[in-house]
Amino acid sequence: MRAKIKKPLQAITVLVLASIFIALGIWQLQRAQELQDSKKQVVDSTVYPLAQMASPTGSIPATSITKLVKTTGHYIATYKAPNQKDGSGKVADWEVALLEEENGSAILVARGLWSERISSPEMTMAKNVTVTGTLLPKQSEDRAENVGGQISRLDSSLLVTSYSGQLYDGFILATDEEVSGQKIQRSRVTPPELTSGVPGYYWQHISYVVVWWFLAALVFWAPFYRRRA
Amino acid sequence: MANTGNGALLRFRVMAILCGVNLLLLILGYMPAKYIFDAVDSNKWLIAIPIAHGYFYSVYILTALQLGVQRKMPLLSILWLTLAGTLPVASFIAERRMVRRFG
Repeated sequence: MRAKIKKPLQAITVLVLASIFIALGIWQLQRAQELQDSKKQVVDSTVYPLAQMASPTGSIPATSITKLVKTTGHYIATYKAPNQKDGSGKVADWEVALLEEENGSAILVARGLWSERISSPEMTMAKNVTVTGTLLPKQSEDRAENVGGQISRLDSSLLVTSYSGQLYDGFILATDEEVSGQKIQRSRVTPPELTSGVPGYYWQHISYVVVWWFLAALVFWAPFYRRRA
Repeated sequence: MANTGNGALLRFRVMAILCGVNLLLLILGYMPAKYIFDAVDSNKWLIAIPIAHGYFYSVYILTALQLGVQRKMPLLSILWLTLAGTLPVASFIAERRMVRRFG
């Protein structure tokens, strides 16, 4: 009886293990592909309307992350976002404002360095501003404390108690602001390296593909292994 | 597999040491740099460590297989040898044991 079920059990074990290893290899291959695709997005210099790339009712779609977007509204609040790291690795305090669109939705905009906030007096809260910038997902790690006028990370969920309208999940890293057709001159934050949130590197993922599929091959080979004296 | 005398043992030893050193670098160097000090972005060369581990480990499995089959080891021992490449210090222990046994 034991011998009868031994072979089917062995076959099932081999199939289950090999399937797991093959699936893990495919998963890593997909991650490598996603990583390559995200790098291709860098060359996309089209400026899309924000409403086309994201909606305030859900998270930012992966395909919209790092896209250049444009939207219009007026600033309703300004915050200091301490210890933010830009694309060149420079850490500084940023000026972040909440931009309310005409439809009543709002999105966080990283306007520039906090130290330069007073150098743009032409910007008042009441004026309509057109913002162009890189759409990025919300941050998940705190860089400071949440105190009055300061936010710990660029995450609209921190503002749900102070804003009654709908909030976009991500934020815009502004590259350009216009008020009545006039550009606001100030230095902007360097966008982060555009990797679309897929961690790791292409050849790192491919190395894992090699390992997982190799282990799958090993599982298939194991039942045929016979020790011969 | 072809009988290669002590060649298989030598290849296994080289890969066991390489994998072991690489794994220690991964755990004591790369992991803290990435998850504690957030230093990988500013030291991109560090990424070579996990990439190398992926490829070293593939070759390590091959050498463990060759040694195991050639020396007619039990399947479980071969499995242990292959897993030793994924555990810190275990590949060094495996290397010493194989040298004692077949060296």
